[in-house]
Amino acid sequence: MISDIVRYSLKVPSPLIPVASLVGNSEGSRMPEIDSRFLTPAIAERVAKACPTSALTVSEIGKQLHLRMDYGECIGCGRCVELGENAFRIATRFSRCGVTREGLVRQWNTEAGTETTPHEISPESVHTEIHSLLGRALNIRQLDAGSCNGCEAEITGLTSPYYDLERFGIHFVASPKHADMLLVTGPVTRNMAEAAKNTYQAVPAPKLVVAVGACGCSGGIFAGSHAIVGGVDACLPVDGYIPGCPPTPTMLITGILEVLRRCLPKISVRPSLETAKA
Amino acid sequence: MKLIDEYPTPGGTCEEALRLLEKKGDDRPGRLVSLFASLDRDRSPRVHYVIDLGERDYRVIDHAVRQPLTSATTVAPAAAWYERELHDQYGIQVVGHPDLRPLLLHENWPTEVHPMVDPVDNVAWASNPYPFLTVQGQGVCEVPVGPVHAGIIEPGHFRFSVVGDTVVHLELRHFYTHKGTEKLFEGSPVTDGSMIAESVSGDNCFAHAVAYAQAVENAYKVFAPPKATAIRLVGLELERMMAHIGDVGALCGDVGFSVPAAHTARLKEFLLRASNECFGTRFLRGLAVPGGVKRDISPPAADKLAQSVRQAHADFVRLAHIILDSPSVQNRFESAGYLTDKVARDLAVVGPVARASGIDIDVRRDHPYGLYHQMKVGVPRLHYGDVLARARIRIDEASVSCELVGQALHELPAGPIRASDAFEGSARGFSAVESPRGELLYWVEAYEGRIARCHIKSPSFQNWPALPFAVADNVIADFPLINKSFNLSYSGCDR
Repeated sequence: MISDIVRYSLKVPSPLIPVASLVGNSEGSRMPEIDSRFLTPAIAERVAKACPTSALTVSEIGKQLHLRMDYGECIGCGRCVELGENAFRIATRFSRCGVTREGLVRQWNTEAGTETTPHEISPESVHTEIHSLLGRALNIRQLDAGSCNGCEAEITGLTSPYYDLERFGIHFVASPKHADMLLVTGPVTRNMAEAAKNTYQAVPAPKLVVAVGACGCSGGIFAGSHAIVGGVDACLPVDGYIPGCPPTPTMLITGILEVLRRCLPKISVRPSLETAKA
Repeated sequence: MKLIDEYPTPGGTCEEALRLLEKKGDDRPGRLVSLFASLDRDRSPRVHYVIDLGERDYRVIDHAVRQPLTSATTVAPAAAWYERELHDQYGIQVVGHPDLRPLLLHENWPTEVHPMVDPVDNVAWASNPYPFLTVQGQGVCEVPVGPVHAGIIEPGHFRFSVVGDTVVHLELRHFYTHKGTEKLFEGSPVTDGSMIAESVSGDNCFAHAVAYAQAVENAYKVFAPPKATAIRLVGLELERMMAHIGDVGALCGDVGFSVPAAHTARLKEFLLRASNECFGTRFLRGLAVPGGVKRDISPPAADKLAQSVRQAHADFVRLAHIILDSPSVQNRFESAGYLTDKVARDLAVVGPVARASGIDIDVRRDHPYGLYHQMKVGVPRLHYGDVLARARIRIDEASVSCELVGQALHELPAGPIRASDAFEGSARGFSAVESPRGELLYWVEAYEGRIARCHIKSPSFQNWPALPFAVADNVIADFPLINKSFNLSYSGCDR
């Protein structure tokens, strides 16, 4: 009876996680973090050889061995953490969510033990404008372009009482015609390519596209399969990338907010205004 | 080093397989578990039948395909999709099949290219027509739905033929998420295969990883240490609890009972967090590998996990009582989406869907693996075959899982968690596990430490063809509810 469920609910304390503990948190994602102080050429070669998706690669730049980490390809298998001694550990904080494709790549000089990433981003950048984002409404349409449903399982979790995405003014909508943002998961399969393009077409401009998960960012473990076209950007223009296999709800929130922060000018322009100017 | 050809195959003939699958008098026929092909070393195709005859071991029959294959579909309708897949993937000619339209490969794929035998680099884009079945008659309307659906769900196409609100016929068109996974296994080191297996169906990735790992272990005659099998059991049952709790909540969501839906989302997240705390992974990814498991569990962590599982279960049981006692839920769940046991048997349906239609099967009890050899697994069964029965089966199974987790964690053996992980040489083996959706089978053939063929029989592939039978004669507005009560994986089916 309805009164029973009300009584039941009143006994349960709210599990809601405060905003400050959400953003930048990556616990449970299995994403590796690299401590360049302990990085050696031997470790770099070992982890690059063991990496199943070639997220970790080594190359010689000016006779010095560099290690390159593409988080967009990482499936969090943990082999680098097993083999990388002190140089690798599981990240509990991870801020490269909702960034550009280049923003997912880091690079180190293994001999000097220094980071040589050209597109360094401040780990705190996501924090800065959170409060200015609150109160805005954003409608998201989730599009599965061929995912294994791992990302869907985590995206569904966003609406749970722990994360309560609605508090940010963010809703999941049923139709692409109501959406401001497409949250696209999975490698785009051959069989979904046309439907994915049609869905994108149905979203009114201005629109944002976010590629979710290792598969969405790069094809992930499915890269090179005959039945896929590639990551999301092989099919649609992408504004931001959220890596992870699957990304945790906290990483998804961080990523969505970061895309908004970076692309706010793009979506603030209302179509009516644009039309009026024209 | 032995070559794979030196390992004897079970052998047999197509006629023999058909005889086992055919119903004779009152005897129950063999249940088709899987039907797939592989390539011999000379690249000629070989067909394998896995059949459950009610014995402890599955019966495997295989034979080289030298002439067109006699279809098993007319004696065992469950074979229909499997044979369509053989036709698509291997170009095997099947004689007597009532419907050989392409299944996995859509309009965009050239009909003459068969991915498992032909080169697949830069395959041209085609646009072949796909004929849907047309239902004719006065007042019949077609309602196409998908592949993109209104919600956070996977893609698939449903074509309803309705008269008024009532569904006369539903035709499925799936495989939008087909990623060529079985082909992707080829050439990959045996130790890497579990990562691909985990990406077949993400929400029950642990069952996939365990089934794969066990298939490899069976092939190489390696035995996972007792502690590893205990941790696997804990993971499998924890995954089942999370899946079933989530499913019951989603069913509530589909009838507009949103408060319990929010509570189940809370309980599921609570368990995901407990899993993360214990194993460092929310969905138990990266835990099971051929030879054992990757992460040990300390006694305090085991106690903590057991307590969390007990707590979530007690909470869920109270919630489930409230849900089942609600007249509005009963009104929507009862008699919706009735799947008869005749259809369920003909299509060899598995898992909770089968058990809700009166079929008494569960791999954990019938073909025990790992620690299930020592466990007494209760198998709930109902005869009603409607949405309510499927919901109740899940509620009861969550309780069984809670008990099994508690028992396994309480009696956690000591010792190593991984046997040797050197898988060199050639071998062939298979293994089945009871995933949250039902019987999941992996068949692996490896050549010099690399996978030559990996076949995945996913419970969703088996159960999807039964859905249209449950949906017929219901109002179209009940389709989401009925579909949810089956809760099948699109990606698991499409691979």
